[in-house]
Amino acid sequence: MASFELICPAGTPAALRAAVDAGADSVYCGFRDETNARNFPGLNFSPTEMAEGVAYAHRRGRSLFVAINTYPAASNPAPWHRAVDQAAEFGADAVILADLGLLDYAARRHPRLRLHLSVQASAANADAVALYRDVFGVRRVVLPRVLTVQDIARLTAETGVETEVFVFGGLCPMAEGRCSLSSYATGQSPNRQGVCSPASHVRYEQRGDVMASRLGDFTINLFEEGEPAGYPTLCKGRFVTNDRSSYLFEEPTSLNAVALLPELKAAGVRALKIEGRQRGKAYIAATVAAYRQALDGFDRTGRAEVPMLAGMTEGQRGTTGAYTRTWR
Amino acid sequence: MPTPRSDDTMANAPDGRTLETAVTALALRVADAVGPRLRDPVLDRLAGVFVRRHPRAAEAVSSLPQATVLIDAVDLPWGLLLRVGPEGLRLRLCEVATTTADATVRGRFAALLDLAEGRIDGDALFFRRDLTIAGDTALVVALRNALDGEEIDVLAEMDAVAGPLGRLGPMARRHAARVAEALGGLQGALLAPVVGRVGALEKRLARMETRMKAGER
Repeated sequence: MASFELICPAGTPAALRAAVDAGADSVYCGFRDETNARNFPGLNFSPTEMAEGVAYAHRRGRSLFVAINTYPAASNPAPWHRAVDQAAEFGADAVILADLGLLDYAARRHPRLRLHLSVQASAANADAVALYRDVFGVRRVVLPRVLTVQDIARLTAETGVETEVFVFGGLCPMAEGRCSLSSYATGQSPNRQGVCSPASHVRYEQRGDVMASRLGDFTINLFEEGEPAGYPTLCKGRFVTNDRSSYLFEEPTSLNAVALLPELKAAGVRALKIEGRQRGKAYIAATVAAYRQALDGFDRTGRAEVPMLAGMTEGQRGTTGAYTRTWR
Repeated sequence: MPTPRSDDTMANAPDGRTLETAVTALALRVADAVGPRLRDPVLDRLAGVFVRRHPRAAEAVSSLPQATVLIDAVDLPWGLLLRVGPEGLRLRLCEVATTTADATVRGRFAALLDLAEGRIDGDALFFRRDLTIAGDTALVVALRNALDGEEIDVLAEMDAVAGPLGRLGPMARRHAARVAEALGGLQGALLAPVVGRVGALEKRLARMETRMKAGER
């Protein structure tokens, strides 16, 4: 049995095919609406495309998970309920949920549907994970990117729930599912509407040799000519405090935890997740192929060979994030 | 049309992509040379081929608000202006300096070609500053996602416009390096007489049109 299950993103049917063909064990996708946390213009799947995506993955012996990981609106929960119903109808292998009410709905309506707890639920301790396990029958938890490998090992051992951790891609340094930074600047919520730094509120301006990135009414970064750039998110913004400009929360950088494969295996982690449903299919194909090769190599030799993926990273830099506590 | 910038596309073509870069750059040069009367119907036909071959992307493009996106290849003398929205996709060659658009995507021609075909990730290009975006970011993101969801092959799209001549495409690919080299050499030699001939044709057409209009009166 392979050490890990490789979970890969897809924002379009073409990206799904790229992920499967490059060696993903499972692919995660969302419907084209506010029910998932990557509700970006032109991205995601219509119901027909989702059904076709499930069939494509199953024909090749792979799994498809549907992310329905935003929080339903009190006035209109119907789209979230419909998304769960359609995922079950199409034969999805799991739904990735965050909201308590939606977990309850899925558990009651579709008792045979496998439930995964989204990173958006921000379940970061064993008691919380055990509650989701006992009340809703959650089988797997996607852990927030704020835990150390030691934390993960302890939580996995205490709960007996399968754990899935991010190993590559965009790095959210905040408590996911609870971050409202983008909401302050744009009036739209990552957790309710599924949009962190919505493109409709992002502008890039050339100011002489400097490129400014703006979110809403705020200038959040200035990049010198040739300086690697990052996403226009407030957590990766450069701000002036005490007359000094610096990255207060986190620098533009991407997670790459491939070097930690031995430690993650020892910690009992079941699945490794690549971030990036908003990325192009070229990113999907390259990162999935690189990780497939790294995981296959690890299974053969016990060593983790670090794939060359710097060209794909935000700010052209990689980090092991909170896993090793060297991250600030 | 004035040519305010030089054509440096071949120098920037990545390894293994010289044929695609050479053919599309040559097609754009010919399109520039022949003038709008002959060029625009061909571009309309190209848009039609795209809509027919990629209905998912065409629907996504049509669902956008009416807007224009300027594709500015910094190593080509002119840009490509895309109109998107309910009236459908339209392509026009344009002079970058005098064109206003709702959004602009700027980069080297070979990178833009790779982006259109989904061979390269737009975010990665942006992170390393090989791609610049200005104006309506949501429009650019929506267009990028519509295109990235397709299996686009620019040469195949052009083959479809070319009709029977398109059968040369697969053969050319088998001998990509030699064909690209030949195209580079032929470009200058071929274009001068083509431009002269087309210019004469355009004048004749204009004279005929004037006579027909006079006859109608």
